[in-house]
This record gives sequence, C-alpha cells and structure tokens, in this order.
Amino acid sequence: MKHPPYQLRTNKAIDRLMFVEAIRYLVRPNDEGRFTYYALGGPYLEDFRLMHENFPKMHLVSLEHDPETYKQQKFHLPCRRIRLLPLDFRSFLARYDSRDKKSIFWLDYTGLEYSEVEDFRSLLGKVASGSVIKVTLRAEPSDFLEEEEENEFKKKFAAVLPSSNVTLPRDSDELAGLLQDMVRIAAQQELPSATGVAYQPISSFCYKDGVGIFTLTGIVCSKNEVERTRDLFSKWRFANLNWATPKRIDVPFLSTKERLHLQRHLPCANDAGNRLHKILKYNIDVDREAAIAKMAQYADFYSYFPYFMKAIP
Amino acid sequence: MSHEKPMQYVDVSASPVKSFFVTMLTRDIELEDAILDLLDNCVDGALRSKQGSNGEKPYSGFEAHIEFKKDSFLIWDNCGGIPWSLHDYAFKMGRPTTHPADTPWTVGVYGIGMKRAIFKMGKDCLISTRNGDHDYDVHITPDWIDNEDEWQIPVKASVRPKKKDGTEILVGALYPSIADRFGDDAQSFKSELERRIATHYAFIIDKGFQVTINGDSVKPRIPHLIFNEKAGGKKAPKIQPFMFRTTTDDDVDVFMAVGFTRPIPSSEEIADEQEEKRYSTIDAGWTVVCNDRAVVYCNRDELTGWGEAGIPRYHNQFIAISGIVEFKAKDASKLPTTTTKRGIDASSRLYLQIKNKMRDGLRIFTDYTNKWKGRPDESKRHIEAGTSLSFEEIKLRAGRLPFSSTKTSVPKGAQYKPELPLPVKLEPRKRRISFVKDIEEVRLVGGYLFKDVSADPSLVGEKCFDLIYREAKK
Repeated sequence: MKHPPYQLRTNKAIDRLMFVEAIRYLVRPNDEGRFTYYALGGPYLEDFRLMHENFPKMHLVSLEHDPETYKQQKFHLPCRRIRLLPLDFRSFLARYDSRDKKSIFWLDYTGLEYSEVEDFRSLLGKVASGSVIKVTLRAEPSDFLEEEEENEFKKKFAAVLPSSNVTLPRDSDELAGLLQDMVRIAAQQELPSATGVAYQPISSFCYKDGVGIFTLTGIVCSKNEVERTRDLFSKWRFANLNWATPKRIDVPFLSTKERLHLQRHLPCANDAGNRLHKILKYNIDVDREAAIAKMAQYADFYSYFPYFMKAIP
Repeated sequence: MSHEKPMQYVDVSASPVKSFFVTMLTRDIELEDAILDLLDNCVDGALRSKQGSNGEKPYSGFEAHIEFKKDSFLIWDNCGGIPWSLHDYAFKMGRPTTHPADTPWTVGVYGIGMKRAIFKMGKDCLISTRNGDHDYDVHITPDWIDNEDEWQIPVKASVRPKKKDGTEILVGALYPSIADRFGDDAQSFKSELERRIATHYAFIIDKGFQVTINGDSVKPRIPHLIFNEKAGGKKAPKIQPFMFRTTTDDDVDVFMAVGFTRPIPSSEEIADEQEEKRYSTIDAGWTVVCNDRAVVYCNRDELTGWGEAGIPRYHNQFIAISGIVEFKAKDASKLPTTTTKRGIDASSRLYLQIKNKMRDGLRIFTDYTNKWKGRPDESKRHIEAGTSLSFEEIKLRAGRLPFSSTKTSVPKGAQYKPELPLPVKLEPRKRRISFVKDIEEVRLVGGYLFKDVSADPSLVGEKCFDLIYREAKK
C-alpha cells in the first residue's frame, strides 16, 4: 500500500505535538503506565515514536489491517514497547475490553465516511472513564464541488447533520467546523446526558498539508468530572473546551536562517504577526495580509515546528 | 355461615387520578413525538383557518416555531388559535362524546396530545392563544399539577395581547431529564427532532407550511420515485411505478405508488454496505401518509409487507425500492393510524386490504431486482433514463395513464401496472464464473495487466480468462 510521506507533513507534525502536550496535561509522570495508547500508526509509526519518547512507560498498541504496511511497521518498530496487531479497527473493537483501564485512542482516518463516525461512536461506549479519543477526518471542500457530491454527503451523514438545510462550506476551516458539529452530535447520540457520561473536548484543529484535515481530541468522563477536566486544561492556550471553532494550523515554510532570526524575538505577547513581519521586512506569502497571518501562525506554533534537514545516514 | 350478617359493600371510585395523566401517560411517548403532537395542533389549527383555500400550497402563510433551551420550551404559531367555543374541550384530558365535529382532514381524534406533551416536559405551562375576538391565557402551575382534587384551570384575558390569531405554549419548570436533553444533548436532540419533522411533516411543509427549530427552518424530505414517460414509445417496457387508487365506502381516498428511487446496487456495493455502514439513514421502504402526515417513514419490515406472503425480507439489495401510500379522509377516525398518530394500526381492515396491493407492487420491483442482479450497469441505463418525481408529481402523471379497474379483487379500485424491462436470458451455452482472491493479489495482477492496481476486479478476472483461453486455443 502506498502512503504519503507522513513524516514530512509540517502541520500534521505540529498536530501530533499538540496531542502529546494535551496528554501531558492529563497523565501524571507516575501514572503513564496505567494508560494504553491505541492507534492506526501507518508504516513509520511516527506517533508511537513520539508517545514512547514522551511517555516511556505507556503501553502502546498499533492496529494495521494491510499486510504490507504491517511488514513495514515491523521494520520501522521504534521500540520494544509497541504491540503490533494485524487487525482492522472494527475487528479490534469487537475484541476490545477496557477492563476499566484508561486508554488513549487516535482514530487517524485519511478519508471521510459514515462508518468512521460509527467507529468513533462505538468506541465512546466502550472505553473506561478518563480515556482520551482523538479522531481525525478529511475536511476537503473540493470533494463536494458538484451538486451530486454534496447530495451524497448529505445522504451519508443525514443522522448527524446539525440541520437539514446545511450547505457544505467552500472554506476548509468552515467545513472543519461542520465536521466538529457532526462529531458532537454523534457523541451526544452515543452518550446522552442520561448515561451520566460525557465526551468533553480538549482541543480541535484544522490544517492542510495538501488536503484539508480536521482533528478533535476529547475525554470520555463522568458528568461530574467534566468541570475538573476543564480546570485541568483551562491554562492551556490551545485548549478548546466549549466546542469553539477549530483552531487553524497553517505554519509558513521558512528557511532555518529565517527561523533562527525570528526566534530571537519570540515569544511576544501582542500582535505577533505584525511584529515578526516587520522584523523579516518582506512578504513570505502572496501579499502583506497573508504574510502577517503566516507570521502569527509561526509565533503560535514555533516551539512545535519540526526541522526537516538533509541527513547522511 | 348462613347465619352471619352479610357484608356491607360501598361503591368504589373509578374517578381519574391526575398523576396518571401527568406521570404515567407521558411514559408512552418519546419527547420528539410529544412535540410532534403539538405541531399537529398547529396544523389542525391551520386547517380550521384555511377552510376553502386549497390548491398546490394550501398551508402557505402558516408557520410554527419551536425554541428550546436548558430551562424552557416554547412553540408558537399563527395558525388561528384555539376558538373559545372549544375551550371546554381543548384542555380536557381526553375527548368527551359531546365534542363538536372535527374540522375536516385533521388528525387529532383523541384529545390528549397537547396535555400529554406539556406534562411530558415540565410542571409549569402558560398557554396563550388568540382566535378572533378572544385572546386568553391558561396557566397550568406546579400546584395545580400536584393537587389531585383540583380539575379546573383558571383562564384569564391575555397579559400580552397578540397581534395575530395563533397560539403560544411556554413550558417551564422542566423535569431534569428534559432539561438535560434541551441543554447537554441540545445538538443531537435538535438534529433528531428536525429529522422527524422533515420526514413526518414532509408533505405538509412541501405544501407551504413553515417550521423552524431554534431559528433554523426545516427542509422536507419528500420521497421521490423514478418515472420514465418517453423511452421507446407508449408500450415499450420502461421504469415506472406501480400505482393503485381507490375510494372506500366510508370515503377514505387511497393512492399508492411503489417503484425505484435510484439504480439497483452492484454486488460490490451490497457487500460494502454489509461490511460497513456507508449511509446513516436509508430512504428505502414504505412511507404511509394519513391526511398529509407521514405516520410511517421508510419502513422495511412486515408492517408494510416485507418478508411475508412470498415477498422477500428487506435486504440491502433492495435499497432502490421505495413506496408511498396516502390515506385521506375528512373524518380522521376512519384513518388507519394508532393513537400516537405516528404509526399504523396494523389490524385495520382498510390497511390490511391496501397492504395486499402494497405487496403486489413490491413483488414487481423485488422480482426486477433479482432478475437484473449481477448486471447493474445495464439496469442502471434503464433507471437513469427516467426522471425522479415527487409523490405529488406522480399523482399528476397518474391522471394521464391507463389505469385498469380491479373490481373483482380486494380492495376494489384501479391500478397501473408498469411493464418493466426484462434482461435477455443468458444463452444456455454461456456460464457465469465467479471467484474470490486476496486483495493484494488482485491489485498485483491488475497492475500487471492494466498498469492500474485499482482496476475493477471483475475486469481483471475476465482478462485473465481471455489470455489463458487464447493460450489454450493455440
């Protein structure tokens, strides 16, 4: 199976680090061995590598249904802690029993299908309280330019649409917002208030490394733990605790020289985009406005921004 | 024993208990359906007001607005209000026999909907209504609900006089479970309520009625069927619905149409749908409409004839088949609905007779689907040659088609039986070959033969056979 070069997708790399940071808020150092991380890690198991580096005692389980990718995973295994299961997610779900142990799931989908929303719903009902579920879906407006494509989308997702009158946005940030509303409805359908359990969002982002992507992280917790969970993340500046619009990750392409030059002035509290733009003295995007927006993005995420360098093995 | 004084018995009370209506009767209905009962009252009010105005959009200009939040529920309309002449009936629990005749074509027969809906939600309710010169408020308080002996509800002139005829119902002091649904579950509740209104009121909204929920207007989900008028001349086989119409002895008009909504699915599509749910809802099956309300929507079980009397059980291969039956009666008690008005009385004589016809229609389209199984592309050409028409459009077209009478069978009426295209049978010398191979192996061979790893597996298999056949012939 052919995979895109996950390791070179800048915005996704930042999203991964955001996820690690969210988990750091949640998992105390002595507690990490009580969590198990489950994900669809892809051929290079990049997220597993990160998890292991940050939470060395955490248990790690990778799910992969494609036999060739599974072989690739065996080859790229970054540590001994990872159990590689040659299973698709639905087969795994049929076998999964939380045994009241906390899990961290990343449903990292590259498409947008109703069955994926169903997977998310099923998982909500199975995990132990205190577990984290991150779901990633494709949010690409150009998929729905034709009327037929839009109608097909509405037919597929009718049960989770916020309104029968919804028009699919042409803007990827707005489409991510719609997907977030749909995931919220699916979560409420699976965990209605009467169950005493809720899916409390922690963060949500949208980004584009070629195609638009929406990603949401949340905690399954009892209703009376919702406030405590919100308190836990209240100081995190990337938190989204009230289903607000997903935050955009759209960092600029900068040379190492540019980055080092800008970094000397960071962090800066106010009007970071303008200030960095003045420091650089030229537009790094199509016009001044776009360049300032990119600079603001850089100021937000510079400490999570990966360096891609030529290396001689 | 015979010498003992006989026991003295006293009469027992069979009077109603208020708590029965407030806490028990409300358990029989879901919150969404209770709200639909309130909407039914709005529509019935519109029918009372519009008497005489018909045409394609008889409900045009009438609207109902629903607003809910964590601590209150509000529904208001401009549908004529509750006439003061009905005040003695509108607020009674149930309908007395002295009730004046209903407005023709309405559905509220049992006199419980509004009260049940209010009691389902909360303990404090203000009903404010204006009809002509009368503009009054009825306030149901928690004290009134808790007092078993008090059955009178005070009525006062409206505190805030209204500009137009209509009714406003505001429910407060919500029960915690209801407050949760309007608060914590607000998004999923709104989505579900909207879906139900969009389906159950599809025909009413399509005829001009407007409904909003928290400011968003509801778009109707009208079932459509493929109708091909032109292809190959009048008598040539083509895709059209099977239709039946009749008027019963007690003046119930019935019109039924069943057909295809889309091309029949390929075997890959059927297999995919079995493995994973691709659609959150499916618009296949039967919709039953009584006086413009869809009381059953897209049903696919025995209630509507699937899986009985020789009709196969519903399966994904029949995803393209859909049917609509409409019952219309001036007197709503003649309609085959249940007391909740969201279901069909399956034992109704009228419904059982019509169900015979529903099965007759189903049989034509399940048979077509089975005959064309494995040849979806050819069938697709027939189906896509037609136009997707709404039920009302089909009824209009039906007027121009040669219906034949069915006087000797039950039910009596007239029907239109389409001539659907039949596949040319596989010649006896030909044999079908099918087999299953590992997906990676199919991709590998597809890449080798067509330079396309995603090539259609059936094409890959056929090409392999052709190559070996050529070899073998040498």
